[in-house]
Amino acid sequence: MLLAVLISNSEGNILVERFYGVLAEERLHWRSFLVKLGSDNLKGAKNEELFIASHKSVSIVYTVLGDVCIYVVGKDEYDELALAEVVFVITSTVKDVCGGKPPTERMFLDKYGRVCLCLDEIVWKGILENTDKDRIKRLIRLKPPTEF
Amino acid sequence: MMDSSGTTLMDLITADPSAAPSASASSPGNSMQSTTSSMEPPPKALGKPATDRKSKKATLIQIPSDTISAAKAVRANIMPPKQKKKPVSYAQLARSIHELAATSDQKSSQRQLVNHVFPKLAVYNSVDPSLAPSLLMLNQQCEDRSVLRYVYYYLARILSDMGSQGLGAGGGIPTPNWDALADIDAIGGVTRADVVPKIANQLIAESLNEDIEFHARRLQALKALIYASSSNSEILTKMSEIVFGILDKVSDGPKKRKKGIFGTKGGDKEFIIRSNLQYAALSAVRRLPLDPGNPAFLHCAVQGISFADPVAVRHSLEIISELACRDPYSAAMALGKHAASGGALQDVLHLHDVLARVALARLCHTISRARALDERPDIKSQFNALLYQLLLDPSERVCFEAILCILGKGDNNERTEERAAGWYRLTRELLKLPEAPSISSKENNVEAKDQLPPKATTDKSKKTRRPQPLIKLVMRRLESSFRSFSRPVLHAAARVVQEMGKSRAAAFAVGLQDIDEGDHVNTFADATDSLDSDVNDTSHPEGIRRTSSVANGTGGRETISSLLVSLMEVVRTTVACECVYVRAMVIKALIWMQSPHESFDELKSIIASELSDPTWPAALLNDILLTLHARFKATPDMAVTLLEIARIFATKVPGKIDADVLQLLWKTCLVGAGPNGKHTALEAVTIVLDLPPPQPGSMAGITSVDRVSASDPKSALALQRLVQAAVWFLGENANYAASEYAWESATPPGTALMMLDADKMVAAASSRNPTLASALARLQRCASNGSWEVRIIAAQALTTMAIRSGEPYRLQIYEFLNALAQGGVQSQFSDLHVSNGEDQGASGTGLGSLLSPMIQVLDEMYKSQDELIKEIRNHDNANKEWTDEELKKLYETHERLLDLVSLFCYVPRAKYLPLGPISVKLIDIYRTRHNISASTGLSDPAVATGISDLIYESKAAPAESDALDNDLVNIWAANLGDDGLLAKNAPAINRVNEFLAGMGTDAPDVEENIISRPSVSDMWAKTLLEATELEEDDVRSSGSSSPESTGSVETSISSHFGGMSYPSLFSSRPAYGASQSSEKSNQNRLGSVSTMGTSSFLGIDSPIREEPLSYKSPVMQRYESFENPLAGPGSSSIGSQDEEQVSSGNSQFGTALYDFTAGGDDELNLTEGEEVEIEYEVDGWFYVKKKRPGRDGKMAGLVPVLYVSQS
Repeated sequence: MLLAVLISNSEGNILVERFYGVLAEERLHWRSFLVKLGSDNLKGAKNEELFIASHKSVSIVYTVLGDVCIYVVGKDEYDELALAEVVFVITSTVKDVCGGKPPTERMFLDKYGRVCLCLDEIVWKGILENTDKDRIKRLIRLKPPTEF
Repeated sequence: MMDSSGTTLMDLITADPSAAPSASASSPGNSMQSTTSSMEPPPKALGKPATDRKSKKATLIQIPSDTISAAKAVRANIMPPKQKKKPVSYAQLARSIHELAATSDQKSSQRQLVNHVFPKLAVYNSVDPSLAPSLLMLNQQCEDRSVLRYVYYYLARILSDMGSQGLGAGGGIPTPNWDALADIDAIGGVTRADVVPKIANQLIAESLNEDIEFHARRLQALKALIYASSSNSEILTKMSEIVFGILDKVSDGPKKRKKGIFGTKGGDKEFIIRSNLQYAALSAVRRLPLDPGNPAFLHCAVQGISFADPVAVRHSLEIISELACRDPYSAAMALGKHAASGGALQDVLHLHDVLARVALARLCHTISRARALDERPDIKSQFNALLYQLLLDPSERVCFEAILCILGKGDNNERTEERAAGWYRLTRELLKLPEAPSISSKENNVEAKDQLPPKATTDKSKKTRRPQPLIKLVMRRLESSFRSFSRPVLHAAARVVQEMGKSRAAAFAVGLQDIDEGDHVNTFADATDSLDSDVNDTSHPEGIRRTSSVANGTGGRETISSLLVSLMEVVRTTVACECVYVRAMVIKALIWMQSPHESFDELKSIIASELSDPTWPAALLNDILLTLHARFKATPDMAVTLLEIARIFATKVPGKIDADVLQLLWKTCLVGAGPNGKHTALEAVTIVLDLPPPQPGSMAGITSVDRVSASDPKSALALQRLVQAAVWFLGENANYAASEYAWESATPPGTALMMLDADKMVAAASSRNPTLASALARLQRCASNGSWEVRIIAAQALTTMAIRSGEPYRLQIYEFLNALAQGGVQSQFSDLHVSNGEDQGASGTGLGSLLSPMIQVLDEMYKSQDELIKEIRNHDNANKEWTDEELKKLYETHERLLDLVSLFCYVPRAKYLPLGPISVKLIDIYRTRHNISASTGLSDPAVATGISDLIYESKAAPAESDALDNDLVNIWAANLGDDGLLAKNAPAINRVNEFLAGMGTDAPDVEENIISRPSVSDMWAKTLLEATELEEDDVRSSGSSSPESTGSVETSISSHFGGMSYPSLFSSRPAYGASQSSEKSNQNRLGSVSTMGTSSFLGIDSPIREEPLSYKSPVMQRYESFENPLAGPGSSSIGSQDEEQVSSGNSQFGTALYDFTAGGDDELNLTEGEEVEIEYEVDGWFYVKKKRPGRDGKMAGLVPVLYVSQS
């Protein structure tokens, strides 16, 4: 189960968050935990360099992409490697949406709606769905996943 | 959206106005911003917890401010620059949706929606139901794909369950509490319940629309429906119908697999449409609640394996894998030929979807291990072969999953056998690549395409096609993974090694016969030859020597151990990773791979150096401690090793680890350690106490005594807490570790009655039970020398031990506590303790007040014991039977003491005898009489024959004791009393008398207490009230150890036990000079003025006659017999004197009356009922021969006379 996907800016302000099966009262803890992880470790990190953490049986993989930091949290079949896949899908899609390069914060916010739609195609109800960025691109334009 | 209301996502968007694309901004904003209505939602920062949701009113009041900041950001994009300052509220967005929906046919409206309104709305967690009509209207009327996509997005959000807080799974800024808004009728009173059915109906209708033009919308409608609450059974049923209906229609027909495998373009339109529908339907099925009873699930999923869409295949496999966990048999049957060579499952191996292959690994694992399929080895081996092939997968995720599956890592119920079998499989089995050429060629293609670095083994396997030992594949794969730069890969590889260690530990734990890690892995024909070599890891040194050749990759004859060694080298180097989580996982892996027979110095030094790194988070450290815990459970042999490691944590990072976690570890290790390990385990725990304790001085910052870790006040404090925990643990568990309990003592109970002086007693105690003695010594040191908190806990721990231990430990502690309470001897114990001006607390006002209730309990116990003995003798003297009344008193005393004792620590009430072992018979009688049926009572010889008989063991020959010449004894006793010449002997007798008399004098107190039979709390209160008084008594009683008294510790100890001595064991005579003071002190303690003379004669009569055989307590008897050598003939050893007469003849035969444990080399262990030949008697001891050697192999030796009945 993917427990959470969070995107924050470099100052730790959360821009996008999606929780799946996380109690409302636990969300605050996750937010602050993840943001702290990011502020501790992501300074000076390279784009798309993967970082990991764990908390009990839960794995966390996070990375930085341009001005935004992306965190994914999962457990069970979503171990660190599966989460790395998820992060990869998200980063490549975000890059795609934001003009093919790591986005500035401004750019990210400008494409906010589209990013949300992409995320909506990548993770459904805590399960990774589409991983192919072309397919995602079609889906957010209300086209079928495979073109005729 | 986050942290403070000051910085929100909206703010962020406005934060950089210059960059705001104003070009796209257009008019609609005007209307939106003009309204600042009171019904604006609280667009709080996303980061703000939903918990600040208060009352509706509060929510509404709060709205404006939050809204302003939140909406500001959204506005930045929407509004023309001049209006930037005005925030866009949720209500404004909602309003504009209503307005734009009405004009959705206009391009400008559509653009406005897509570019401004919908994206801003996405900031919120969801939309409120009042928007649903407009959204539905858009859905029906709008043609624009982008608008429609957003519409589906929001409809799905309305459908998903929001919970009471209006906070959906999606996160984001919470939308307004629409129920609250509905109540105040601010937005027309639309509630979710009103709109959900409408939305669902429309989406259902769309998802049934087979129009090709509608195809994409149909897929989105299906997807949106998935979000409907899983608790909404109506929609769920409808959905199942729809998706299974779709699958029915699309699953058959011409399959054009292989072409569309990678989801690339191609294929005809009809095929693609079908494939898309298959995908959408299976995605929906995957998210339906799994219904194992519904065959449609399995059927559809199995069909799905052959679908062209990779995501659909993944979902199918995941569904089957889940179903297989519950019913592997039907899953395997349904899969049927798919698993065979060339079947659909084989194709999955080459599917470009990592998670699909992961699901395949799990599925194969489940089915190949299923018990239900034991009769179908063919099926199992098919799936096994698939699983092994996944080891070659280019993706680490898949390969590692396959390794974990092979290792037997289950999701939930993990069994040791399964784990052990996993290790066996990994080390023994071979990967045989399938023959089918088509598949292998495809495999090559896939691998060639893959960007991931293929492991060396794949190449080799392609070339050689030789069967590969799994272990080699795995090791090489892991080694190459450890060279990766990716943290997730390193972490995962370390985790796999950890799991390997778990399986390996399990394999050793269950003792799999042919685990020989010295086996040559690539010459499997030989494997069985070496099965008889050592099962343990003793081959490791050899393996180490071979490492070089393995590392060179020259192959040669590799062994499992050599492979492991080279892997572990790589693992160790990974400790250098800068990511602390990777390092933690590496350490866990090392702990798991550590074998109990190897030196763990390296591990220790790795951990020690790691712990010096301040970046370790506490949670991670505690996690490692828990790993130690788990490791111990797998291999109890490692208790000491693990405790050593735990100690590193305790000393290096006391501030970070949780004392509870550490205690849990201690406790488990202690409990799990074998009988021989307990001592070592306890020692390892208490090493913490050997650290220089944080002195009060160092706490005050004057000196830093603690060189280990208490460099700062915080860790000093933590270390102190840890010491407290250790002290508490010691008190709680020392008895357990030492197997020394008052109620089931390995040594004869009541040993204390044999009086020793203190030094000898300590010596005796430590020789008998070094574990307990050393624990005691440590606690005594802590109690006198630690910080305040530690001393208090040490005193409590000592009390616990005193209550639980038999003699002489109890007495030793009693003495110590007295000394501590009184403070007189403090200097002895804490000479080194530099006074810092603080009262150290060992004076009467400090620890004394804490100690007095503890001492009182022990006092009570001793007094009552004395009283009981006196009573028994009185009864025996007078040949009286115990009346029910007397028994009742006794019983009540017993219960009262039990209650008191239970205040301090747990003791088993059924077994614990606060009145000493002597009381067991009487207590039993009383219990029998009052609880059990009369018949049983009558059959009890005790009841039938009277009390005096009771105290004999039923097996003991009462006739024998009757046969004792009472007259002779009495004469002897009288002589003794008169014999003033026996200066040496007289004091000994006096001591006996004193002992006997002492109890009588105190009796009334005890009985008063019995009568009132107070409740526990009353007693407690009383205890406290009496504390002062008692303390005075104590001062007097232990006067012998106070400076003004002549005696020392020894005299006061002996005084409490009537000044008896136990010289024979240590061949040293008691200091008779001290007897006078001990008499005195005994009197004082008892507050009695009874004279020795009278009481001695009173008392002596009965013990002389009865004691030798009368008391169950063997110790009593033993002591009596021990009196002999000291007292000389005719003086003290009454019983043996008699027996000497009896045994003056030739050697006789006898039967052991009780178990006897040899106390020295020349003594002999006896088991009750054992027949022996008595060779001769000397000084109260029989030299006996057994008929056959005992357990210790000894045939002959000394036993106390009283332990043997002569026949």
